[in-house]
Amino acid sequence: MKPPPFKYHACRTIDEAVGILDSDPDGSKVLAGGQSLVPVLNLRLAAPDNLVDINSIESLDHIRVQPDHVAIGAGTRQYVVERSDQLHSVLPVVREALSHVGHSQIRNRGTVVGSICHADPAAEMPAVFLTVGGEVTAHSAAGTRTIGSDDFFESYLTTALEPNEIVTQVKFDIPSGRTGWYFEEVARRHGDFAILGVVALVSLEGDTVSRARITIFGGGATPLRMTAAEQLITGAKASDIGGDLLERAAIEASAAVRPTDDIHASADYRRHVAGLLTRRAVTRSLERAGSPA
Amino acid sequence: MSETLDLREQAIRKWGSDNRAIRKGKWIGKPARRLEDPRYLTGAARYVADLELPRMLHAVYVRSPHPHARIVSIDKSVLPGLGKTVFAFTGEDLRDVPPLIDHVALDNLLRTPQPVIAIGKVRFVGDAVAIVLAADRYAAEDAAELLSSVVEYEELPPVPNVAASGASDAALLFEELGTNEIYREAITHGEVDEAFAKADRVFSTPFEHNRYMAAPMETRGVLADYDRADQQLTVWSSTQMPHFLRSVIAGQLGLPENKVRVIAPEVGGGFGMKMCTVPEEIAIPFIATQLGRPVKWIEDRHEHLIAATHSKQQSINLEVAVTNDGKILGVRGEFVGDGGGYSFNTESALIEPALAAKALPGPYRIENYREEVGAFLTNKSPVAAYRGVGWTAANTARELLFDEAARGLGIDPAEFRRRNMLRSDELPYLSCTGQVYDSGSYLESLDKALEAVDYQAFRQRQEELRQQGRYIGLGISSYVEQTAWGSESSAQAGTPLPSHDNATVTVDPSGKVTVAVSVSSHGQGHETSLAQIAADGLGVDIKDVVLLHGDTSNTPYGLGTYASRSAVIGGATVARAAADVREQILQVAGKMLEASPEDLVIEDGKVSVAGTPSRFKTLADVAYAAHWDSEVRNSEPLLSATRFYDPPANYANGCVVALCEVDADTGVVTLDRIVAVEDCGMVINPMIVEAQVHGAIVQGLGGAMLEHLIYSDEGQPLTTTYMDYLVPTFSDVPPIEVISIETPSPFTVGGIKGMGEGGQIAAPAALANAVADALAPFGARIEKLPITPDYVLRLMGKIG
Repeated sequence: MKPPPFKYHACRTIDEAVGILDSDPDGSKVLAGGQSLVPVLNLRLAAPDNLVDINSIESLDHIRVQPDHVAIGAGTRQYVVERSDQLHSVLPVVREALSHVGHSQIRNRGTVVGSICHADPAAEMPAVFLTVGGEVTAHSAAGTRTIGSDDFFESYLTTALEPNEIVTQVKFDIPSGRTGWYFEEVARRHGDFAILGVVALVSLEGDTVSRARITIFGGGATPLRMTAAEQLITGAKASDIGGDLLERAAIEASAAVRPTDDIHASADYRRHVAGLLTRRAVTRSLERAGSPA
Repeated sequence: MSETLDLREQAIRKWGSDNRAIRKGKWIGKPARRLEDPRYLTGAARYVADLELPRMLHAVYVRSPHPHARIVSIDKSVLPGLGKTVFAFTGEDLRDVPPLIDHVALDNLLRTPQPVIAIGKVRFVGDAVAIVLAADRYAAEDAAELLSSVVEYEELPPVPNVAASGASDAALLFEELGTNEIYREAITHGEVDEAFAKADRVFSTPFEHNRYMAAPMETRGVLADYDRADQQLTVWSSTQMPHFLRSVIAGQLGLPENKVRVIAPEVGGGFGMKMCTVPEEIAIPFIATQLGRPVKWIEDRHEHLIAATHSKQQSINLEVAVTNDGKILGVRGEFVGDGGGYSFNTESALIEPALAAKALPGPYRIENYREEVGAFLTNKSPVAAYRGVGWTAANTARELLFDEAARGLGIDPAEFRRRNMLRSDELPYLSCTGQVYDSGSYLESLDKALEAVDYQAFRQRQEELRQQGRYIGLGISSYVEQTAWGSESSAQAGTPLPSHDNATVTVDPSGKVTVAVSVSSHGQGHETSLAQIAADGLGVDIKDVVLLHGDTSNTPYGLGTYASRSAVIGGATVARAAADVREQILQVAGKMLEASPEDLVIEDGKVSVAGTPSRFKTLADVAYAAHWDSEVRNSEPLLSATRFYDPPANYANGCVVALCEVDADTGVVTLDRIVAVEDCGMVINPMIVEAQVHGAIVQGLGGAMLEHLIYSDEGQPLTTTYMDYLVPTFSDVPPIEVISIETPSPFTVGGIKGMGEGGQIAAPAALANAVADALAPFGARIEKLPITPDYVLRLMGKIG
């Protein structure tokens, strides 16, 4: 449970961090909260030559709530994000989702951006990012680019980031209109990675669903948007979304996930629960969107 | 009834009614705050990992990645600095150290000698292949990784489970035995065939009890230091049995026992796992003697999950023959243990199935019973003790089956139990398996637990909610718990082992009390509970009592702490020694006060003439005079006594009731409430008793709902971190209420019974029965643990 030898770089600026990454892209790892990386190092599952610690880069610690988005810096702890009332007032699903990320001790260290970049398919924050939509800002020696949430997750623990890139912030879009949300996950214990979970945002214009975003996590190699189920309810009148439509949405979701068996649950279980959580997500999101609050 | 009277008389003749007295004063029975807690809570307590010695080397194990393989070669020469900064030992290097073998006195049990580092062959993933040492842990892990990468193995077919182990073409773990089945024996008590022939109905269940483990907060750890000048070996180990370990180390290493000192510093939980001598406790001291440098090994959690002993796994086939009105006529049970790669030293692979078979009758009147016990070797980590050894599995299988029978007969499960349960006035009772239940409150415990949850109201609410598609359930689990593991207890459990324990109580010249005990503490609060007994025995405050334990150099010989023995044995030895010292004090004080010793009392640290409190001497004055004043001191002036106790068997009892709700969509079980009635005889400290019940229930909850050591069909462990092996946290535990009944043992000193395992024995069945009860409309039958959401949906027929 001790890591193999590595060179430790306590970076003060983004340029410094980017410089090290650029000099040895494949042999370097970025350390933020360390809640995923440090266990991996201690188990000797990874042996990077350089550990690029970004915790001392002050410009990375921020939450900025704008009219149409929220920007969260790569150094911002999950606990701080969870406690932000300003963020909560525009994106309440974030606080709910974060309450399921480990326990408070873990969230005191862990970062939202770190969780998204680690891209565990059963983790909460990648699913939230995919659902609310937005982009990450990535820096490298070559410059700066943004990557949209729909293009970010590629496979198990794999993102569109290049090895020499470092993410400095993530932006979450703020939905317009009357929007209801839902978060639920099934886990063996509170705080564990989900066996399966759902994040949803459903917006209404009048009585009509104008936009639906439903993401299942733990159901494949990445968090998965349930686009077929989303399309079924988009454009429908909220009052028409009942037994039959919900049933079809559930069937679509069960068919859309790509789960595997593991020691905590079978693929069959995950398919079953994907449909069920999708149904609950639509129902509860509509209730929230419809309620005057 | 005549049998009952005989038993009582026999026992009293044997144990002597005058030996049962204990002096009760201000402390016994009080929820005294634990004297040891400040150092635990402030982080000041020092565990093996906290200890540092000059020139100390850190040891790291190279462990087998294969479940079953021959070791072809280990090329130590790849290690840079070998013999200078890095050292390595293989099984060949420790060939002179004898292997570890179990001590069970049964002729037809096959033996599986375990070298302390594997020689020639490995038998589970995690089996020790080599030990690498360096000046710091990082360097040692780097070297161990390098050495690990060059060990050559010839893989053998894995034997991942009992079915594979018993197959005719199975690979053999010990070729010389010619079989993997190391034990098979059937015993019939009463008229079993007749009972089944007469029965109206027979209910049966196959039950797979899951493999789980103690997983204490402190993993295992050993520090050994050999002093060449004094030829003295000192071993610090996270052990429950320091004196016993001293004897074993001396024997294994060929050292005089008076040149070996074992110290259990703070021990962060043991739960039975740290009872047996583990190979590491021999290998590390051996290497320390070879290198002449202190050697420290601290197990990490990954290593702990694959290489520390596992527990609980067995397959049970149980049948019960009943009449239509719910009377049990007979029981048949087959108990098959999955022992792992070695039939582990101390108790062997029988530890689970044999103890389960003997304990199966529990609190019920079962007169006709056939028990069949088998044990197999498999390529997994060996099985050894863990809180409620064998009894957890027996209780779970029995209580599940009784609920099944009650449902089948259309009888309320509580009523089914009442009709078959032993009444208090039937005790002492000799069970068909030879266990003498001394006293208890079996029916009363059941009734109190049901009353606490308002049983009838629950049944009504359950019916109402079912109409709404909600499924709540209530599970009952009654138990007896064999305690006070001495010679008689171990014989009644079916694995006879002699027992020996002592305590020394000393009052120093300042009047302060030092109590040295052979039972050792690993968090149970002995420094408080045993101090309460000494304080009442001597008329002092518990803060004036210091308890020494865990160091063989300053405590009398004995077997340490396991199997709920320390309250009874520690309590009795301390009470007896304190009574002797009290007599010595009164002799001196009588001379000082010019009164007869019989007329004196000791209270609040003062010795006074009964009825005349103004005529007194402080205990400090008396103690000073006892040592220094030749006018009054005794012919043997030391105020000190050492007393022995090997207790009669005795049995605690209780009942756990659990309430839950099952989400019929996701299969998630929400635990709402647990009520536990505990009867452990005379209670020394109710707060400690309650905490023990809580802890045991939480561990039982872990086993029932979460914890499972899983191996693949290829014999690879799949639960190798705490992300895979799920121990309950506080957020997974429902409110637990503990209700106490005190039925003193008629046989033991003070009427004390042991306790602490009941929660783990009973909680799994209570939880499983609660889930089965909630799912009764689906005809669900629980046949394995843990109860995962996936399993629940399968029980409901929603998947699979």
